[in-house]
Amino acid sequence: MGLDLLLASTPPADSGGGFDLLGIVLWPLKWAVELILVAWHWLLTVVGLPTASGVTWVLAIVGLVIVVRAAVFPLFVKQIKSQRKMMEIAPELKKVQEKYKGKRDQLSREAMSRETMALYKKHGTTPMSSCLPLLVQMPIFFALFSVLRDVGTHAKAGGGGVGMLTPELTKEFYDAKLLGTVSLHETLGDAWSGQNTPAIVLLVILVVLMIGSQFYTQLQIISKNLSPEAKTGQAYQMQKIMLYILPLGFIFSGVFFPLGVVVYWFVSNLWTMGQQFMVIREMPTPGSEAARAREERLARKGKAIAADGKVVPMAVYEAEQQRKLEEVERAKAETPKREQPMSKKRAKKKGSN
Amino acid sequence: MSALPSYAFGTARFRASDLLRSILILPRNAVLAFLVAYRSVISPLYGDVCRYYPSCSAYAVGAVQQHGALWGAVLSAWRILRCNPWSKGGVDDVRPHAHFRYELTPHGFVVPARKD
Repeated sequence: MGLDLLLASTPPADSGGGFDLLGIVLWPLKWAVELILVAWHWLLTVVGLPTASGVTWVLAIVGLVIVVRAAVFPLFVKQIKSQRKMMEIAPELKKVQEKYKGKRDQLSREAMSRETMALYKKHGTTPMSSCLPLLVQMPIFFALFSVLRDVGTHAKAGGGGVGMLTPELTKEFYDAKLLGTVSLHETLGDAWSGQNTPAIVLLVILVVLMIGSQFYTQLQIISKNLSPEAKTGQAYQMQKIMLYILPLGFIFSGVFFPLGVVVYWFVSNLWTMGQQFMVIREMPTPGSEAARAREERLARKGKAIAADGKVVPMAVYEAEQQRKLEEVERAKAETPKREQPMSKKRAKKKGSN
Repeated sequence: MSALPSYAFGTARFRASDLLRSILILPRNAVLAFLVAYRSVISPLYGDVCRYYPSCSAYAVGAVQQHGALWGAVLSAWRILRCNPWSKGGVDDVRPHAHFRYELTPHGFVVPARKD
């Protein structure tokens, strides 16, 4: 998600006159964002929070994060389930990897990718999350960004948003303040020029937390949840470099984000962090450091992971291993022993004895 | 970043004498320059996410080389739409242009074919 924010931070073009394609594409999304915000705000005031308070509006933004992330959660679960299924094709996958082991030229890599992808397709499972969701998240973020930005211009003009955000609510949103002085539409730049110390402190803390959570999540993935094969690639090196370069970009963009957007981003990052923590702990990538840690944890509790990926008591696991061993031995015993070929001459000789 | 398929790069080199003939393929080379930058800077951040070989960005490179900036963009957009959580993925190559008249450089840029 972080990257989308970086792209969104470029100053929006003035939509004065002319054909506004972006505006038309964003309109339904903005409408939905406003609906969710207003719905949460209404719910929170029903519960008893003061309607014009900054806290209420911040919580409404938190609610927006919950709705958006919960909506894409089924996709996440789907991917995890698919990862479980990966265990079944692990032997075949390993065969492909063995075949191209140590071959680093472009043609070998191409052939390996082709075979791997064909294998995934054959079994109807894939560890890849697909490209479209990455692109879909961007307009959602753009929509939020422009809703929050429009609150400022609309409140000054006395107008409302594109949908549920009425002129009164827009005004209220615009006037809502945290700690008595910090508006939700305030950016670090505004706060600096306005000499608003509480706003500067709050924004700096949030931007630091936001970057910190992003960095920590990426670090966890890179250091714990990558298989040894993934760690040999060129992409891995790049990811490691970007881990340190990207936060610098976010510091820059953090200056231009209004507080509301920073809150959205931070809470969204917290959600990602929680999800990732769960994945690393309970469904790590096979072969990664996290997977080893999980096996050790399970072993301490007297449990192990069976061939189908389910957690079973150690006794059952050992029985399974024993059975497999016996099966192999039985198969060995059953196959007829290969007889040493004998020349006709020797056979005759032997027969005459 | 997944590797470019072997049909997406070549051994040709740009020659200054072809400058005039290159104007026609300037749009697709501009798009290719953007794709090369995207693939080396932004793609690695996402890691391997694509369900296809070639990956969506590598497919875009091939599509723009073969079919030009406009039709290549349309093909790429359609491919990204297909690369969704419900798709099966697999191997999905760009259909080459029936009369491809250009040559490819090692980085995948398009240059006019040499007659010799």
